[in-house]
Amino acid sequence: MTESPLLEAVELSKSFGGVRAVHSVSFAIQSGELMGVIGPNGSGKTTLVNLITRFVKPTSGKVLFKGETISHLPPHRIVRMGISRTFQMVKPFYQLPAYKNLIIPLYSPRMKMLAGRRYGDRNAVALDLLEEVGFERDAFVAYKPAGALPQGYLKRLELAKTIALEPELIILDELFSGLSLAEVASIVPIIEKLRLEGKTIIMIEHRLRELFRIADRVIVMNYGEKIADGKAAEVMESDAVKNAYLGTENVCK
Amino acid sequence: MLVGTIIYALINSAILALMAIGFNLTFGISGVANFAYGAFYVMAAYGMWLIRNHTALPYPLAVAVMVAVNVVLGALMYRFVLLRLRGQALSEVIATFGIGLAILELFRYYGFVGFEYTLPVFSDRSFVVVGTYVDAQRLFILGFAVVLVACLWSFTHFTSTGLAFRGIAQDERTALTFGIDADRVAALSVAFGAGLAALAATFIIPLGSISPEEGYDVLIKALAVCIIGGLGSSGGVIVAAVIIGFAERFTDSYIGSHWTMLVSLLAILAVLVVKPSGLFGKQKELEERI
Repeated sequence: MTESPLLEAVELSKSFGGVRAVHSVSFAIQSGELMGVIGPNGSGKTTLVNLITRFVKPTSGKVLFKGETISHLPPHRIVRMGISRTFQMVKPFYQLPAYKNLIIPLYSPRMKMLAGRRYGDRNAVALDLLEEVGFERDAFVAYKPAGALPQGYLKRLELAKTIALEPELIILDELFSGLSLAEVASIVPIIEKLRLEGKTIIMIEHRLRELFRIADRVIVMNYGEKIADGKAAEVMESDAVKNAYLGTENVCK
Repeated sequence: MLVGTIIYALINSAILALMAIGFNLTFGISGVANFAYGAFYVMAAYGMWLIRNHTALPYPLAVAVMVAVNVVLGALMYRFVLLRLRGQALSEVIATFGIGLAILELFRYYGFVGFEYTLPVFSDRSFVVVGTYVDAQRLFILGFAVVLVACLWSFTHFTSTGLAFRGIAQDERTALTFGIDADRVAALSVAFGAGLAALAATFIIPLGSISPEEGYDVLIKALAVCIIGGLGSSGGVIVAAVIIGFAERFTDSYIGSHWTMLVSLLAILAVLVVKPSGLFGKQKELEERI
């Protein structure tokens, strides 16, 4: 017997008018797994994340988290259950210093639920979190307004905001996009460390090389449908994926 | 005369700040411009008058009841009207203005007009402050404005609800990802604003009387203060209230009271010409257009 999955999507569909953004996608993810979601632009990856976190209401199908249906809950309730996400376009609180950006999630309903009132010095917790995602300890950068940070730090801050909520499932929507190779290389160990801590992670990525190095498993989306699901190496060899990414031979010629 | 004018200008500023603070709180948090704000102010005042004159309830309790009523009605207005219009600023304005209009004109229709409609002063003593006579009520207003501003500031900086408020104010989507219920916070913001309108009425109405016109007047003054200060900025409300408050009283004393309105409107125009999003405004698009 395998244990029941942490998250399960059952025939999730979403249409925007006549566009089938996501069509009958099912998958299950076990606790502790790192699952990549890849696919060409517009294939429905972000919509899939939006459906899981309920930022978008599914047209049909459902999502189960620890065996409970969550697809009827509003997004803030889903966060409280332990699913947290990043956005492709980062939106920090620009006027606040970087570490103060973490004060709001640290005071949020989920943290109150988990820690009660005995949560200690939250400024210190915020600075620790920033160090965890690669802000230099005691450096000026943690105290700068978020609006003045370079992209690499903004992505790290986005990651820190998600882990500040101590989630069980972390969904990273193109965390690596817009980052240099060196910056990606420095964030990969942070994700690996999160896995060692037992977090379950879903990563949407276009940076396949980096993704395949850390993912246990990859699902491939194309035109809103799941066209492959399996170990990274196997998935890349399948014909459906080659067609989706490279086009059919006729098109190539 | 100068000292007296300054003292009364300060009090006038406190009155303006009290009138604007609730409107500004709601707008600053949820972006809802509650144009029924003036009606909530007047409704609370009439409610307190009715309770005081037709029941045996002690006056402080009447105040508490009306603040609570306003809070509940504000939340209901959000839940049943504004929730459906969220994000369409013009619809929000039309809907809330319509509600306000209905409330105010209903009071006029039922004949609630006249000098007997007023609320009691807290104390009828008066004091000499640096050679100027000031009645206790005006001093209460000044004190209350200071206390209220201090309370609101600590509320939004040190409590989790307050932080959630600021989170929503900055970015609703990000706040949602932190597990903050945007609609609940927005409903609370409208409710808080309405409650503050009731409190402001308790302090300010005793200086004059309750009338439907007062509702429009309060709305316009609140708008003026908020626009000058920069909509949604709490620091801005204080500075703007001081600017208009001083402009009004100094015109009164040194130019003539028939120029008061003109001077305060000119002050508004001057600020908007120089800084279209208000002194502390954050609407960058407006700044970058000129």
